[in-house]
Amino acid sequence: MKICVCVKHVPDSAAKITIKGKNQFDESINFILNPYDEHAVEEAVRVKKQVGDSEVIAVSVGKKDAINTLRSALAMGADRAILIKTNIRADSVITSRALKAAIGQDGKPDIIFTGKASIDNEGFQTMYRLAAALNMSVASNVIAFSLDQERVLVECEMEADARGIIDMPLPCVIGTSKGLNKPSYPTLPAIMKAKKKEVKIIDLESLAIEKPMSSIEILELKPAVEERSSKELKGQPEEVVMQLIRVLREEAKVL
Amino acid sequence: MYRDIFKEEHIILRESLKRFVENEIVPHVDRWEEERSIPKEIFKQMGEMGYLGIRHPVEYGGSGGDIFMTLVLAEEIARCRSAGVMAAVTMHTDMASPHLARKGNREQKQKYLTRIISGEIRCGIAVTEPDAGSDVAGIKTTARRNGDSYLLNGSKMFITNGYNAEILFVAAKTSPEAGHRGISIFIVEKDTYGFSAKKLEKMGWLASDTAELTFEDCRIPRENLLGEENRGFYYIMNNFQDERLVISAICVSHAQQAMDDTIAYAQQRQTFGKSLSEHQAIRHKRAAIALQIEAGRQLVYHAARMYAWGLDRSKEISICKAFCAEMINRVAYDCLQIHGGFGYMKEYPIERMYRDVRVWSIGGGATEVMKNDIAKRLNI
Repeated sequence: MKICVCVKHVPDSAAKITIKGKNQFDESINFILNPYDEHAVEEAVRVKKQVGDSEVIAVSVGKKDAINTLRSALAMGADRAILIKTNIRADSVITSRALKAAIGQDGKPDIIFTGKASIDNEGFQTMYRLAAALNMSVASNVIAFSLDQERVLVECEMEADARGIIDMPLPCVIGTSKGLNKPSYPTLPAIMKAKKKEVKIIDLESLAIEKPMSSIEILELKPAVEERSSKELKGQPEEVVMQLIRVLREEAKVL
Repeated sequence: MYRDIFKEEHIILRESLKRFVENEIVPHVDRWEEERSIPKEIFKQMGEMGYLGIRHPVEYGGSGGDIFMTLVLAEEIARCRSAGVMAAVTMHTDMASPHLARKGNREQKQKYLTRIISGEIRCGIAVTEPDAGSDVAGIKTTARRNGDSYLLNGSKMFITNGYNAEILFVAAKTSPEAGHRGISIFIVEKDTYGFSAKKLEKMGWLASDTAELTFEDCRIPRENLLGEENRGFYYIMNNFQDERLVISAICVSHAQQAMDDTIAYAQQRQTFGKSLSEHQAIRHKRAAIALQIEAGRQLVYHAARMYAWGLDRSKEISICKAFCAEMINRVAYDCLQIHGGFGYMKEYPIERMYRDVRVWSIGGGATEVMKNDIAKRLNI
């Protein structure tokens, strides 16, 4: 079985983003493998072990440094990698077209795993666009995955307290979410082994992808300001508890 | 940052370690501090991750990595805010086991190094005695030949992992009349008859066990002599410099963690109508802390580059150790000062860090000894 995993090189969520000029930021900060994509890599490696005689190929669109993220995927168990190198800030249209072209060149896979979104752009679109371009079934927000011969059964998080169960044929594209698995930390021997695995670099221009009719341009970046305000709950203890539960459920959305 | 020394594999290792520390160490540190030791299980977990054999040979389960990977390990584990955990781990990885990796024969490495790297057994090095610390030549423990064995007699002091370790590398005089040319190192198993260990209570490093060891006619088989007889002093001196580099890296990372915690505290703490971090007095103090840490970091990375290039880095490492161990003490003092009264309370990590860092200017070569060494190497 051939399994592709699409991964993105994103700024570390713990890093301090410093905006430069109108729409750039200081990229000397730490970059990581997009956390949602980690679940995709973990699941791909798990399926590979389950099926046997399979290959996992990690694919990324990004700058030269995205090779670090591909090495992370290799250290987690992917067999080889493809970097579609570009200095442009690709939106989900360009990204999905680039992925389609590179994956097509490499040979059509049976399953493509990718995170449901990247933590930098949060477009939530790439897996749908990629599936449409490759004429494959697609499911996103996936928190449970099982494979039985030629069919896939997934559980998707819909809204709060609701899950959808989808039975779909191969080949398919799966958008992974956090509940799907617990990504393992790569061991040092696996990291050393990953150094020797193949990473093929393709220039985006060489793929000659169809220019989209329109694309997204980021005009300006602004720091997010988190506004917090205190709230006093008044009344008898029983009333305060009920109010607190309502606030936690409806406003904080933690219950 | 520092792309000349930290490549892809170092970045991935750092990320892996960061998560390991966050998930497997940080949540348990308070308990381990109370229990005065870290569980054996954590060594096994670290062994499975490959963290215990970074630079050890692949044929014994190591990873054949480089000095920069060792720095990554030291820097990331120091982020757990417990120097006790740090000491227990780096004693095992960088202060004790390198003796076996460098000087052990094939049988010794097969028997012990493989299990040290997997975390199945823990190790320590026992050189210091009540009357001999940095003055290694002055040790009094003896190992007298007796047939196919040596009889070990004497005592050791302040031995990290001394109580829990399954094996210890013990320095003893095999030719007492020959001074520093009469010292040998022996592999001593914990359950050897005549060996006993007593835990010591300390000011800091509470999660690490530190022990006083006693050897009374301990019979050590001849095959447990490490390397050549009477060459132990040179083995110890050789490893001292490398372990001091690791200690210096720990000091820098510990200082960075103390500063990060202090900045976070100063930003949320309100005094006189604004956050503490907005007061100029605090801003200057923070800047002074930052520049000291950066100076320490540059010294460490410079010495590590020299190590990687195979150059003699003895002087540079003594400078590192002298500077970084004093630096972390100044930084911890200033960080606690910025915390005010809360810094004196046990619920704030800076209280532990302040106690923990005190020993860095003493252990692994006191600052005064480092200065003597620097002066000697500068021909002052």
